[in-house]
Amino acid sequence: MTASNIVELYGVTKAFGALTVLHDIDLNIVEGEILTLLGPSGCGKTTLMRIIAGFEPTTHGRVIIKGADVSNLPPDRRPVNMVFQRYALFPHLDVFDNVAFGLRLKKWPKDRIREVVRNMLQLVQLGDYGNRWIHELSGGQAQRVALARALVNSPSVLLLDEPLAALDLKIRHHMLAELKRIHQETGTTFIYVTHDQDEATILSDRIVLMNGGRIEQIGTPEEMYAHPRSLFCARFLGETNILDGAVRACESEVTYVDLGTGTVKVPTNGTALAVGQKVSLAIRPEALQVCRRAQPAATEGDANALEGTVEDVVFMGSRVLYSIRTPVETLKYQATRSVDGVMLAQGEEVRACWRPEAAVLLTH
Amino acid sequence: MLKGSRREAMGLALVTPSFLFLLVFFIVPAALLFVCSFWLAHSFRLIPAFSFDNYSRALSASGFYVLTWNALKNGLCTAAFTVALSFPTAYFIVYRTRGNLLFYLILVSWFSSYLVRIYAWRVILGSNGLINTTLMQLGLIDHPIEVLLFSPFATILTLIHIMLPFGLLLLVSALRDVRREYIEAARDLGASPFEVLTRVMLPMCYKGIIGAFMFTFVISAGDFVTPQLLGGREGMTTGILIANQFRSSGNWPFGAAMAFLLLAAFLLVYFVFVRLLHLLRLAPGRRFHD
Repeated sequence: MTASNIVELYGVTKAFGALTVLHDIDLNIVEGEILTLLGPSGCGKTTLMRIIAGFEPTTHGRVIIKGADVSNLPPDRRPVNMVFQRYALFPHLDVFDNVAFGLRLKKWPKDRIREVVRNMLQLVQLGDYGNRWIHELSGGQAQRVALARALVNSPSVLLLDEPLAALDLKIRHHMLAELKRIHQETGTTFIYVTHDQDEATILSDRIVLMNGGRIEQIGTPEEMYAHPRSLFCARFLGETNILDGAVRACESEVTYVDLGTGTVKVPTNGTALAVGQKVSLAIRPEALQVCRRAQPAATEGDANALEGTVEDVVFMGSRVLYSIRTPVETLKYQATRSVDGVMLAQGEEVRACWRPEAAVLLTH
Repeated sequence: MLKGSRREAMGLALVTPSFLFLLVFFIVPAALLFVCSFWLAHSFRLIPAFSFDNYSRALSASGFYVLTWNALKNGLCTAAFTVALSFPTAYFIVYRTRGNLLFYLILVSWFSSYLVRIYAWRVILGSNGLINTTLMQLGLIDHPIEVLLFSPFATILTLIHIMLPFGLLLLVSALRDVRREYIEAARDLGASPFEVLTRVMLPMCYKGIIGAFMFTFVISAGDFVTPQLLGGREGMTTGILIANQFRSSGNWPFGAAMAFLLLAAFLLVYFVFVRLLHLLRLAPGRRFHD
């Protein structure tokens, strides 16, 4: 056990009857981090969180929290607390009593409960709401109470199950900032489950991308965005262009990929690839450089290029999104709005270029 | 604005029929009966008056207390056992089964008439009934156990049998509001299964429990047919006393006065029961934290 790992999962497997929803998951969660379990619905992220909380027993594997094997402990005897997707605030208690619920079970003295609950309500900026009933709260306020009710127990790990899913977009962004602030003030380890890649990238120290009951990739949001290791990862996090091709030659530094219309260069991704093997290139829309075909080619002599036509222009304020039809694929291209107001127009003949290192080589 | 007033009109239209029905067939007759309870009767004739004679006559008769105690005993025992037996079954139906098959099977017992079920219990509990015959043939007893039938035991057993589906219906619908995530949240916050029951499930079912208890209590305590047919020497309840005043004695005011005394006793049970739930901290509410 490493001292800084607060949760360790070894070979966690979960089957419901004949259906296996988690396959042999190994995962370490570092003390104090915000770790996001990200993935499409049905990928097993919620089940994994419920296994950590103790609501679901594992079929195989062990769950270690703070060095102790809790695999067989019920939820009330694990040092974790959860914020539920629909909050699950007790309607028969007011805000104060909801937050005090865990401390009363621990038989804390009244004065101490009053003090700690008040401080916690201050932390979530609901200092004056102790006497409110749950049905009197807005969605955002209920969210804060749920957060306070869990955090007041000083859990080793706070589990958040899609906590913002029920909120509208504006409050969601505000709550993301609030979650970050509360994380900084308490220093608690957060495990955050979401299917929303924006939430994951904004909030996380590390993202665990899951698919079909397995972990696809673990990394910081930047790593995951810049160096996806699979097509699934490249597609799931952010917009991306995928170009299919075949290996023409594979050198130690550079791999040459035949796209059908010409050959492009891309950094070799570590493994040697056979000539003729089917591969894909992932290029982020903002990594492209696009200029009118009449203009001289982009500065780098090394650049890869595809010729095409501007098919669609979407003005987004600070950004402009273009669709560029090329013989291979329709490329998404994102440009920042140029100050001189020059924009490409629909139907213009253009050339889309990218530096070799802007693309990621992915095998199938 | 228009929308609001239309909603109000709609609400009024939905409520009015049942309100009118209750007004005409319950509230007005009950009020008339209440007025009547202060009147006097003389050889089958009602004499309008404002007299407490009927009340003092009932309250000074020891028989009234004995019979009312029988009624309350039947009601309280039936209600307590019905709620206690229904709750685990309701829990099982709500959290452990998919679909409602079990629920419907229990409701099927309503398909047979109330009287048929009373006679069925006479067959089971009687001297030559199923239980006594079996026990005698097994050689466990020499003589039939007489107290099985014609005792408060038989009355309460039968009333529980009749009331159980009512209790279950009310508790199942109350428990359905306690979604599984509330139970999980409580477990997550450190509650043992027993603490989940006392701190979350029962307080959240508060109204359903009061409903199930009072419903079964009022019907069983007011019943005079079952005790008469199964209760033996202790089978008389206030209900039969009241019925006799209206049927044979023709003393409506006296019957009305006893009916309202019984109603007062029922209300007392209600307030004591609610108070008890609060004392046991099984009711929703604030816990004096400021």
